[in-house]
Amino acid sequence: MSDHQSIDGPQLLDERAGDAALDAPNYDNEFDAIVVGAGLAGSAAALTMAKQGLEPLLVERGLYPGAKNVFGGVLYTPTIRELVDLDAAPLERYVAEKRFSMLSHDDETAISLKPGEWHREPHNDSYTVYRGEFDAWFADQAVEAGATLVTETTVTGVIREGGDIVGVETDRPDGAIRAPYVVLAEGGNSLVSEGAALKSTESRENIAVAAKEVLEFPERSGVIEDRFRLVGDAGVSYQYFGEGAVGEAYGGGFIYTNGDTVSVGVAYSLEDAATKRQSPEETLNLFKSHPAVAPLLRGARTVEYGAKTIPEGGAESMPDLVHDGAVIVGDAAGLVLNNGVHLEGTNMAVESGYYAGTAIVEAAERGRTEASALESYPERLEDSFVVQNLERYAWLQDRVEEDRELLFEQLPRAIADASSEYFTMDRRPKEMHAKAAKQRVFDTLGGWKGATKLALRYRKLVK
Amino acid sequence: MSVSPQVPEIENDSMEDRLYTVKYEDPGDSHLNVKVASICADSCETADCVSICPADVWRREDGEGVPTIAYENCLECSSCRFACPYDNVSWEYPKTGAGVTYKHG
Repeated sequence: MSDHQSIDGPQLLDERAGDAALDAPNYDNEFDAIVVGAGLAGSAAALTMAKQGLEPLLVERGLYPGAKNVFGGVLYTPTIRELVDLDAAPLERYVAEKRFSMLSHDDETAISLKPGEWHREPHNDSYTVYRGEFDAWFADQAVEAGATLVTETTVTGVIREGGDIVGVETDRPDGAIRAPYVVLAEGGNSLVSEGAALKSTESRENIAVAAKEVLEFPERSGVIEDRFRLVGDAGVSYQYFGEGAVGEAYGGGFIYTNGDTVSVGVAYSLEDAATKRQSPEETLNLFKSHPAVAPLLRGARTVEYGAKTIPEGGAESMPDLVHDGAVIVGDAAGLVLNNGVHLEGTNMAVESGYYAGTAIVEAAERGRTEASALESYPERLEDSFVVQNLERYAWLQDRVEEDRELLFEQLPRAIADASSEYFTMDRRPKEMHAKAAKQRVFDTLGGWKGATKLALRYRKLVK
Repeated sequence: MSVSPQVPEIENDSMEDRLYTVKYEDPGDSHLNVKVASICADSCETADCVSICPADVWRREDGEGVPTIAYENCLECSSCRFACPYDNVSWEYPKTGAGVTYKHG
């Protein structure tokens, strides 16, 4: 028996798949390239190729593009905006406020950022979206440019001739499809790339597990605007750290506002989930119940529960991106920056898909498929914000891991205690409270010496 | 005035109700399995698959033996695949569009 709501028969199958996917026509050698996965990276690659006159086939295992996707909640659009008309896209809200919160067991210490500029277009290129809607729309843009999309079709492996990748196997009858180029955009759970020995399975120390709910407020309209102090299409991105957010684990909680729902979730080290016996569901429940979080969610009803793993290995975990006849993009290539301050991935997915698509167009013009002919993809990626940002923060995760107890437990508690002390209302002079507050933080850091050491250890953050 | 902090009661859905919010089509057979049953039965004491699963797919009777797999609960997050210290989880994508379908995601 399934606990899920079942789908009633084939009438609900997505129309975009049409008869094409169901009848499995022979696509062998009909296309210039096969893109495995119609997420952001795959559709960006297909769109880029189609715009340059190639005919890519976009293969999606879900009922529609985005059907299998879950993300934290913010789509970053600097490159998408160059590729498509975003005014027509299904966006939920632009991010007008970023808020960083330290949670101890029952304290909150927060910093809120609301630059006025974010209210003006392009809104710092940061929007909340539903991937189920946005990815379907984005894939449609690729189709309008000339790509062909098949859904409900799972790629099960690559076809090799000699050492070259010359196509893919699918789960359709006579499901082998050949094409000169294969773009592996299958996401972090990259079974095809791993099965083809193009990358190894990421160790669990480099994987985060995320559990998320989309909540609505059935009792009255306008509650999101009221509760998050929003006007019009403005929205918020709230990030939470510390033991009140995800217990003893390395990671954080988040709240994002959509049009008429909020997304709330936790994402933290899979290693911690395993060794500290901290289940995603229980961690999510505790986060939602924190005194600083619960009032934001009061009266909400769950409309969707989801879970996903996030590859967080960073620059060191990136596999070889080009192979003879194939490229790897997006989450499959480990292109996620999740360091606490910046939580990015959608921009990197689009950027990698764009460069990979461009490299294939150039190689196709010369009739070449070998890895060296596709080298402009990793080269452009190296020169772009994608690899530069990943490398910039490569040291941070290890560093934070070493300082974890101080950063996520002791310091949040000390700062909360210090601010409580500093603003204590009694008949003693302020000077006493200020001194005591300062002492509380300093004791935790290990005095001037400790504070200086800590600042030195993290100086690269502001370099 | 009350001295205890006033925190609104958050009513979290049960796992069953949570999973009910996700559309699901049964592929007919499990896309998840264990590779070698004896590894679970004889070597594994921690059952990390059970503690990390966000959807209550993996369960172990009396804390030992080969876990049962409620694959119909699976949200396809792949946590179990990465978490198993024995690399003993066999994971395939559900076939032909089956499995979970997220509306929001």
